[in-house]
Amino acid sequence: MNAPMTQFAKPWVANPDGYRVPYEVFTDQAYYEQEQEHIFRGETWSFVGLDAELPNNGDFKSTAIGDTPVIVTRDQNGQLHVFKNLCMHRGALLVRESRGNVKSFDCVYHQWSFDLTGALRGVPMRRGVRGEGGMPAAFDMANFGLDALRVEVMNGLIFASFSKTVEPLADYLGEGIVANIQRIFNRPIRIMGDYRQYIHGNWKLYAENTRDPYHGSLLHLFHSTFGLYRATQKGFTYMDPSNRHSLLKATASAAPTSASEDQEVYKDVRSYNTEFRLQDASILAGRPEFEDRASLVINAIFPNLLIQQIANCLAVRQSVTHAPNAFEIVWTLFGYADDDEEMQMIRMKQSNLVGPAGLISMEDGEAIEIVQDAVIRDGKKTSVLAMGGVHAGSVDHMITEGPIIGFWENYARYLKLGAGLKK
Amino acid sequence: MSQTITAAHSAAIDALHSAYLAALDKGDMAAWASTFAADNARYFCVSTENDRRGLPLALMYDDCRGRIDDRVSFVTKVWAGTYEPYRTRHFIQRLSCEAAGNNQYRVTSGFTIMMSAEGGTTAVLTSGEYRDLIEIQGDSAVFCERRAVYDADVLPRYIVFPF
Repeated sequence: MNAPMTQFAKPWVANPDGYRVPYEVFTDQAYYEQEQEHIFRGETWSFVGLDAELPNNGDFKSTAIGDTPVIVTRDQNGQLHVFKNLCMHRGALLVRESRGNVKSFDCVYHQWSFDLTGALRGVPMRRGVRGEGGMPAAFDMANFGLDALRVEVMNGLIFASFSKTVEPLADYLGEGIVANIQRIFNRPIRIMGDYRQYIHGNWKLYAENTRDPYHGSLLHLFHSTFGLYRATQKGFTYMDPSNRHSLLKATASAAPTSASEDQEVYKDVRSYNTEFRLQDASILAGRPEFEDRASLVINAIFPNLLIQQIANCLAVRQSVTHAPNAFEIVWTLFGYADDDEEMQMIRMKQSNLVGPAGLISMEDGEAIEIVQDAVIRDGKKTSVLAMGGVHAGSVDHMITEGPIIGFWENYARYLKLGAGLKK
Repeated sequence: MSQTITAAHSAAIDALHSAYLAALDKGDMAAWASTFAADNARYFCVSTENDRRGLPLALMYDDCRGRIDDRVSFVTKVWAGTYEPYRTRHFIQRLSCEAAGNNQYRVTSGFTIMMSAEGGTTAVLTSGEYRDLIEIQGDSAVFCERRAVYDADVLPRYIVFPF
């Protein structure tokens, strides 16, 4: 991925009135197959978990990169590993539980046993039974260790890659994204739990949604109603030099600069209600905890991760693909290990801002599904991305669709779409 | 089933369950909220996964009466028009009931929620277990606490209404 963007033929270009992407990218199985090979199993780093999820030696979790099942584990020396969840003998899922603690991974099919570093340690009846059968002399257990992925851990975030040539993680992310990871993961965390939701839509609709500050105060009426985020608020949109990742940040307080400006901006909005009052306002009663006083940080990391800070609600969101029209979001919410009781309560109250029933994320699931439903037979028609001037890159506001264009330029580059989609 | 419950209390608890299910099956959020105690009421909706791991995260975390009332407003006012309408049918069976003193009972029930999306077929939304603290007040019963622990590791869609 080191060659510059200008060296790639582009299937989609920015016209003065917008950047257009055909809807078939969301529905066609051929795109999905190429994504698995060239994005999820290609030159990228995918998020697979937090090291706080695996505190003890022998802990493991099962998850997936794209739709490839993988195991994340901490071996007896504390080292983290990521393996394909695939027995080297006949291909069975090695681990079927979501989480656990083990001394070895034993396949249920023929009980081949692998240690936590992935090495094959046991093959039942390897020397035969009563002198009959057994594995041939040429069979060397050293050749049948689990398929290991490259692993890098940054401030407790575990990333894995199928690629042997992808740049180191810090280079892949770029300085600005690394700085945000260091900002949020600045000390040990405490896991609060997971939300999981199946979405009947394409994973890239969520990649767009999380790179789209335009919809923030329009789809999510809770934001604008209660002032967590309004378009009149000062903020910026940062993109890393490769335009793969984006960081949307609302920097100042959510109070509108003036009531009249606020009314002007939202005059076309369906039910923007500034008169509404909460019975229990504690969901909004946060506590500033970052020096920059940012109230909203949405950091999308290509291809499968989002890191969020919404007031004191901290979470990572992992996308797992199932099919062109199905993916899953796993939210892991967390606080810090040194949170006092009041802060733990603040985070519990604010946790309902996100998740499948989240006050500012329920509607994202709906938005994705209504696009998927509508475009099903209109693959050659296109969306139009124009807000903010039809270009990717950093800007000092949040009224833009630039990060979405950055996503698609990179998507086309990974899939080599300029040369036409391989079918 | 505990020996100590009277027929009248048992009937009041059944009536409370029926009122709760009827409210949600009609999509009547105000009626849902009215099945909870007027003050000091709590509603939690949590996944079995988090419950088993001993983690506190809740899909819905309404730890006081004000949050229950606010949930009514979120569904009926803030979210109005943003979600696809869907109807539910709740089915429950009581699994246990133990006296907790002060006219209160700890009651557990299994539940199933069927869901019908507008223009769609009917499907299972999830199943789970209600773990309740119910108080008898006069002739009727109210929830001091309802904890809905749902079975699905992955919810099949976004969720608007409480379980």
